[in-house]
Amino acid sequence: MEQAIQPVGSGPFFHQICVTVETAHIRSTSSFIKPSPYVEITIDGQTPRKTETVKNTTQPKWNETFNLLVTPQSKIHFAVLDRNSFRKDTVVGEKTVELVQLLAHSEGRECLDVTLDLMNVKQSDSPVKAGELMCLIKGLRIETGNNRRREVLARRSSQNSIGSASQAVAHTVLNGIRIKPRTQGTENAAPAGNVAVSERPRGLQLPPPPALPVTPIGSGSAVNFQPGPVQTSPANHTLQNGNSADIIGPPASVPNGSVAQQDEQRQDEPLPPGWEMRFDTYGRRYYVDHNTRSTSWERPQPLPQGWEMRRDPRGRVYYVDHNTRTTTWQRPNLERLQHFQQWQGQRQNVVQQGNQRFLYPQYQAGPAPGPSVPAPPTEEDEALGPLPSGWERRVQPEGRVYFVNHKNRTTQWEDPRTQGQEIGDIDELPLPPGWEIRYTEDNKRYFVDHNTKTTTFDDPRPGAPKGPKGAYGVPRAYERSFKWKISQFRFLCQSNALPSHIKIQVSRQTLFEDSFHTIMRLPAYELRRRLYIMFKGEEGLDYGGVSREWFFLVSHEALNPMYCLFEYANKNNYSLQINPASYVNPEHLTYFKFIGRFIAMALYHGRFIYSGFTMPFYKRMLGKKLIMKDIESIDPEFYNSLVWIKENNIDECGLELFFSVDFEVLGQVVHHELQKGGDAERVTEENKEEYLTLMTNWRMTRGIEQQTQAFLDGFNEVVPIEWLKYFDERELELLLCGMQEIDVEDWQRHTIYRHYTRNSKPVMWFWQFVKQSDNEKRARLLQFVTGTCRVPVGGFAELMGSNGPQRFCIEKVGKESWLPRSHTCFNRLDLPPYKSYDQLVEKLTYAIEETDTFGQE
Amino acid sequence: MAATRRLQKELGDIRNSGLKSFRDIQVDETNILTWQGLIVPDSPPYNRGAFKIEINFPAEYPFKPPKISFKTKIYHPNIDEKGQVCLPIISAENWKPATKTDQVIQALVALVNDPEPEHPLRADLAEEYLKDKKKFTKNAEEYTKKHSEKRPAD
Repeated sequence: MEQAIQPVGSGPFFHQICVTVETAHIRSTSSFIKPSPYVEITIDGQTPRKTETVKNTTQPKWNETFNLLVTPQSKIHFAVLDRNSFRKDTVVGEKTVELVQLLAHSEGRECLDVTLDLMNVKQSDSPVKAGELMCLIKGLRIETGNNRRREVLARRSSQNSIGSASQAVAHTVLNGIRIKPRTQGTENAAPAGNVAVSERPRGLQLPPPPALPVTPIGSGSAVNFQPGPVQTSPANHTLQNGNSADIIGPPASVPNGSVAQQDEQRQDEPLPPGWEMRFDTYGRRYYVDHNTRSTSWERPQPLPQGWEMRRDPRGRVYYVDHNTRTTTWQRPNLERLQHFQQWQGQRQNVVQQGNQRFLYPQYQAGPAPGPSVPAPPTEEDEALGPLPSGWERRVQPEGRVYFVNHKNRTTQWEDPRTQGQEIGDIDELPLPPGWEIRYTEDNKRYFVDHNTKTTTFDDPRPGAPKGPKGAYGVPRAYERSFKWKISQFRFLCQSNALPSHIKIQVSRQTLFEDSFHTIMRLPAYELRRRLYIMFKGEEGLDYGGVSREWFFLVSHEALNPMYCLFEYANKNNYSLQINPASYVNPEHLTYFKFIGRFIAMALYHGRFIYSGFTMPFYKRMLGKKLIMKDIESIDPEFYNSLVWIKENNIDECGLELFFSVDFEVLGQVVHHELQKGGDAERVTEENKEEYLTLMTNWRMTRGIEQQTQAFLDGFNEVVPIEWLKYFDERELELLLCGMQEIDVEDWQRHTIYRHYTRNSKPVMWFWQFVKQSDNEKRARLLQFVTGTCRVPVGGFAELMGSNGPQRFCIEKVGKESWLPRSHTCFNRLDLPPYKSYDQLVEKLTYAIEETDTFGQE
Repeated sequence: MAATRRLQKELGDIRNSGLKSFRDIQVDETNILTWQGLIVPDSPPYNRGAFKIEINFPAEYPFKPPKISFKTKIYHPNIDEKGQVCLPIISAENWKPATKTDQVIQALVALVNDPEPEHPLRADLAEEYLKDKKKFTKNAEEYTKKHSEKRPAD
C-alpha cells in the first residue's frame, strides 16, 4: 500500500460540543453610547460562527446555541464585537479557551457553565478587562489524548489553586475562565440558578424525528407500505393492530448463522426494556419487541450510549441520539453507526470538494423568444405523436406556436417532443424579427441583421450552434456537442426564469429540515427565481458562493444514513441509489419529492451536488430503457446469474423457475408475479428472453418505484424532465456533479496491470493519451471504466469496487480489431493490444463517447 | 414463493437419493429457506463423528448462492471457529443458478474429507496439517471425539 496519501478517516477525530452563548456584562466606557454587541466563536481559526446582534445594551442576552466540531486540542476563541453600521465592527473583548484545559477541569462532567473574562487588548498596552461572557458548554465527555491530559493534570495539581472535586459547586478559576458544573437534571428542573437568564429548555427539547410525522399513514406500523402479497409465515412481522402481544410470532425470514453465533456470546447481557426472548415451535430463539410490536431473529443490541427510544404523539417509535441531538426512525446498530460516522467524517471535506468542481463557463444564451414573431404553425405536428403529459400546444394571436407546461407553469417555443434531438430541425425554425438568411458565393450561409445592419455566420436562432457551421462539420464531435447541449439547456433555463428572488434561510444545525420545509412550502415554479440563501447567524450576501455551499451541504445531508433515504450502490462509495427500506421513514415519499425538486434546482441554477447517483438512476431520469447490463453495476451476482440463463440452454437443468420472484427487505420477503399468472408459468428456453426482460425490469425497480416516482414528480415541477433530453446519462452526471481536476500522476501511480506491464506499449500509449486529453475527456474515460466521473477524496488509492478497495486496472484482452471494454464493478479496462498510438486513440475515443453500452459489455 | 418450488424439488431429490454422507435433513414446514443436516464423513480423522450443518438459502435463490455454516465444532483448516466455510462452488464468482444443493453438499463432504491447506480459513491448522500431519490427525481425532455428534447407526 502506498503511504503517500492520507485516508479521509485518519485525520483528528472530531467531537461535537454544544455551546450556548447566554449573556454578557459589558463595562461601558461611555454612558451615552451603548454598544450593539454580538459574539463570534472561532474554532482553530476556521470560519467564525456568529450570534445575532443585540442593539444598544451593555447587558446583552443572546441564548443562541451552536453545535461545534472540535478536537480535544481545539482552541475556541470567543469575541464580543460591537456592530457598527459605518465603520468596521470593533472588538469589545475576547478570550480564548483551550479545550484541553477545560476538559482537565471538567472532571468528567458533561455540562459546564463557563464565565469568561473578556479582555480588550487593543486599547492599551496591557489587556484590560472589558466585561464577562456567560456560556453553557455541553457534550464535554471527550477523551483527551492521554499525554496532554496528564500534563495538564500535573500542572494543575502543582498549582493547586483551583477547587477540587469536593468543591464542585464553587467556581473554578483558571486564567480568567470560571467554570461551574451544571447537570442536565437541574438545568431542566430549576429555571435559572445564578445564571439568571434564558431558560428556554435546552438539550432535551429535541426535534421530532427527521420525517416530521404530520400525515398519518396506515395504522402506525412502520412496515406497511410494500404493495403486493407479503410472505408472512408464521405470523406478521409487524402487527397491524395486535391487541395482545401474545399473538406475535417469530419473524418471517430466516435467521442466518452468523446472527446465531453472535447471540451465543451475548446471552448473558440483559435485553433492552420492553424486549422478551421466546422460542418458536422449532425451538428457535426469537425476540419480541413489545415497544414496536415486532419480532426479530436478531438479539437486540442495547441502544448505544446516549441513545434513547421515544414515541411521537401518534405512538410511533423513534430514536433520539443525545450525542448529536438528532433523531431517526431506524433502531441504531453498530453498522449503521459506523456508516454514520463515516458519513460525518466526510463533512469536513464537503465544502472543499465543492470548490474543486467545475464545468464550462456558462454559455451566452441566444436571444430570448420575443412575443411577436409571425410564423406558420408546424405542419408535421401530427407526425410527432402526442405531447408529453401536462404539456399543451398553443398558438399566439400572430400565429406562432408555443408550448405550455402546466406542471410547472412555463412556456417555451421549443417543441418538447423534438428538443434534445440532433439539430437539423433548426432550419425549420423562424429567424428573429429583422433577420434574413443569405448565402455567399461559395454557398456558405450567413445571417443579416437588418436591425443593426450587421452580418454574421452565427445562427441567431435559439438552439443553433454558435460559430460558423463549418466548424461543427462533424456533428457527433463529442466535446463540442456537450458544450452545445449545455448551452441549449441553459437557454431553456434562462428563458423560463422568473423575476425577483426567493429567500431560503436555514440554520446549519438543522440544515436538512429547514431546507426541506422551505422548499416544500414554496410553489415549485418559485424555485426558479434567483436564490438568496442565508445561514442563520452568518451575515453575507449570496452572490453565488453561499448557494453553492448550500447545494453541496444539503446534498451531502441527504445521504445521512440516519434518514434511510439513500444507500451506496454495491458497497462502492460514490454512487447512490434509493434505499428500498426507506419506508421506515413514514414521510419518505415527501422527502423524495423534496430531493427531486432540489436536484432540479441544482441543474436549473447551475450548481453541483456532492455525490451523484448510479448510472441506471440517471437513465431512469432520462426515461431510457434499462437493460440487463445495467444490473451489473448495482448487483453483479444477480447479473451473472441472468447472464448464465441467457447463455445456456436451460431446459435440461432443472432450474424450476417460474414467472415470479421474491425479494427481501428489512426481514420481510416480498413475492411478485412478473406477469399475470406468472406463478404458474414455467420459464423455458423458448420464453426465457421475455423472462429476462421482465426480471431486468423488476430488479431495477423493486422496492424503489414509488420513491423514484416521487423524486421525478418533484423534479418535474421545477424543471420539465423533457429539458434533459439533450443529455445522455453520463453527461447528466457531469452536469450534476461537475468535473474536478484529475491528477494523472496519482492515477498512474495507483493503477495495476493484468497481462500487461507498466512498460507495455499499449499501456504507455494509454497514459500518453490520458496526459494529452483535457479534463473532460479524462472524466469521461474514468466514467467509462469506474462508472463515475468522480475521484475519491483520498485519490486513486482509495478507489472502491463492488468488493471493497479495487485499484484501477488495465487488462490485456482481445485482438486489435476490438473496442476497449470496461467492468465498472471492478474498475477494470479491457484494453486490446493495439498496434499503434493512433489506433488506440481512435478506439478508446470511440468507446468512451458511445453511450450505448455495447462497448461496455 | 419463487425459491420454494425449486427447493422442494431439490429436497425431494436429495432425500430420495439416499446420500450416506448427508443425513437427517430437517426443514421447517414453514420455512424451506433453512435446512439442517448431518455431515457424515468417511475419511479419518473425521470418520469418528458427524457434524451438524445449516444451509441458508437467500430469498433470491437460485439467483444468489446459499450459505453454509457448521453447527458442530470441527478441527479443520477450511472451517473456522464460527463454523464458516469457504466453498468455491458457492462463491460469488463461481455460482451458477443451475448448481444444485446436492452438488454443493458433495463438494462440502469432499472438502471435509480432504482438507485444502492451500486455501485455509485457519492458518494455524493449515500449517500444522502441512508440517506435522501426525500431530494434526491426533488433535483432530481428539477434537472430533470430544465435540462431534453421534454417527447414525446404519
